[in-house]
Amino acid sequence: MPAARRDPINRRRDVFLLLGPAVLYLVAFSVFPLLYSLTISFFDWRVTQSSFEFIGLGNYGELAQDPVFWQSAANTAVMTAVGVSAQVVLGTLLALFFDLHLRGSWLVRGILVLPMLLTPVVVGVMWRALLNPDWGVVNWALGLAGLPEPLWLGDPSLALWTLTLVDVWQWTPFVFVVVFARLQALPREVFEAAQVDGAGRLATIGRITLPLLAPAIAFAGIFRAIDAFRTFDLVFGLTYGGPGRVTTTLSFWAFENGRTFQRYGYASAIAYVMVIVAIVGVTLLFRYIQVRREDAS
Amino acid sequence: MRLRKAERAVAYVVMVLIAIVGIAPFAVLFLISTRTRLGVLQVPPPLTFELETFLANYQGVITDRFFLDYTINSGIVTGASTLLALVIGVPAAYAFSRLRFRARDQWASTILSFRFMPPVAVAIPIFLVIRNLGLGDSYLGLMLPYIAFTLPLVIWMLIGFFDEVPREIDDAALVDGCSRLQVLTKVMLPLVRPGMLVAAIFGVIFIWNEVLVGVYVISSEDIKTIPVGAASLISAQRPLDWNVAATVGVVTILPIFIFSLFVQRYILRGVTAGAIK
Repeated sequence: MPAARRDPINRRRDVFLLLGPAVLYLVAFSVFPLLYSLTISFFDWRVTQSSFEFIGLGNYGELAQDPVFWQSAANTAVMTAVGVSAQVVLGTLLALFFDLHLRGSWLVRGILVLPMLLTPVVVGVMWRALLNPDWGVVNWALGLAGLPEPLWLGDPSLALWTLTLVDVWQWTPFVFVVVFARLQALPREVFEAAQVDGAGRLATIGRITLPLLAPAIAFAGIFRAIDAFRTFDLVFGLTYGGPGRVTTTLSFWAFENGRTFQRYGYASAIAYVMVIVAIVGVTLLFRYIQVRREDAS
Repeated sequence: MRLRKAERAVAYVVMVLIAIVGIAPFAVLFLISTRTRLGVLQVPPPLTFELETFLANYQGVITDRFFLDYTINSGIVTGASTLLALVIGVPAAYAFSRLRFRARDQWASTILSFRFMPPVAVAIPIFLVIRNLGLGDSYLGLMLPYIAFTLPLVIWMLIGFFDEVPREIDDAALVDGCSRLQVLTKVMLPLVRPGMLVAAIFGVIFIWNEVLVGVYVISSEDIKTIPVGAASLISAQRPLDWNVAATVGVVTILPIFIFSLFVQRYILRGVTAGAIK
């Protein structure tokens, strides 16, 4: 067949033609900036003092002794671990709950999806208003119920938990949507068979539903963890890293050094530590995403 | 699953509570946005509505604080970036789905991994490059990085949609003498239209909300997008006028709210397009 003989050449040309623009674009605007900031991280570059000097690993050395860096690393770790765990548990519970398909539940599902679509900076400002200690509606309601009225954002021992809580409010819907979609795609016969065999409701969920959902739950959790790890906007809107440094995340500390203090070298070093961690996270995630597909062509 | 009557009642109560947790914050935000600067401080918030204050707040934010301009900027930047990301991303996704070449899966996962790189790691170089190209404070200066941020997700989602189209369709068109490019533009594009819509929606949501690179690249009021405008408002003005901040919140949220009403079902589709094993 003549078509088959032409094929290999055409194929190569086709690959370049179809894939070329995307690869070139990403090389220009993703790969190059990543290499650029790696280079910057080896320089002492302070715009305000117009200093520009190669210092090797100097920035990384400073970073190792910077208490704010370690605090923001700890803050980020706590927020990611606790927040994402809560999102995974709540999101899965919500998915199981909406699997009951109560009347009107489509409307509530629609409401639930909304938070994850919103601009995080604005979500932060919104919750600052709701949690205001003097006139916020949350403390007013707590007061009515005779409960203590905490300084959500002002109390240094509480602010990080408040940040985590708002993150949970915004992103539990993501886990819910992923797990719920998977749950709806499961074959119903499995559950019916279990019920016929006399399995109780909890037993069915624990022994059948959850194991079947596990890959989806893991996927949603790791996906969220990588995103929570780089949280910036929400901090900007909600706490601006304070009080003190108790809610400064790694992204926020890198931003402050880069944008506010104009220390490009040091900011890039912080960001690069994050890149390394993100690569580890992505490697984990790839176990749950089907990248390899069977060849049919 | 079948529920007993009492259980059903409890379930409905729980559902209403979930709805309240989901929607109450927005309701309160709207309420605050209808207050005067001092009216905000009243506890408990009275459920009154003064049209005059409401109009004054919204007019103040929309025109005096340029939020109409910000919205237009956001619309232009988001629309153009998403469109271009599709133009570049659709052929790439098609190639990953149909063509066989060396290290294909490695290429695919490398491209996807850019979706997860922390934006702070590229913000400074992008700012420097954009400035040196003379594109600081221009739409293009925002669009160039935004396309790069959106591209991995677009490609990733569309690979899944192309995979769902049977290969026999391509083969038939190829035998009929179409080139690969023609197969894509004439045969495949109509078939993956829902997929393009899903990818576009996620691109739109991401770009509409992006603030970090925006803050680096943009300083002129003429080019600011909504989140960048909101960010400069809340960091410049301290203490905040809360009625103004709440109005900014409502003005920002409302377009997304309306948008989500129309695209609800595609969002569900998009989150699962990640082809979970």
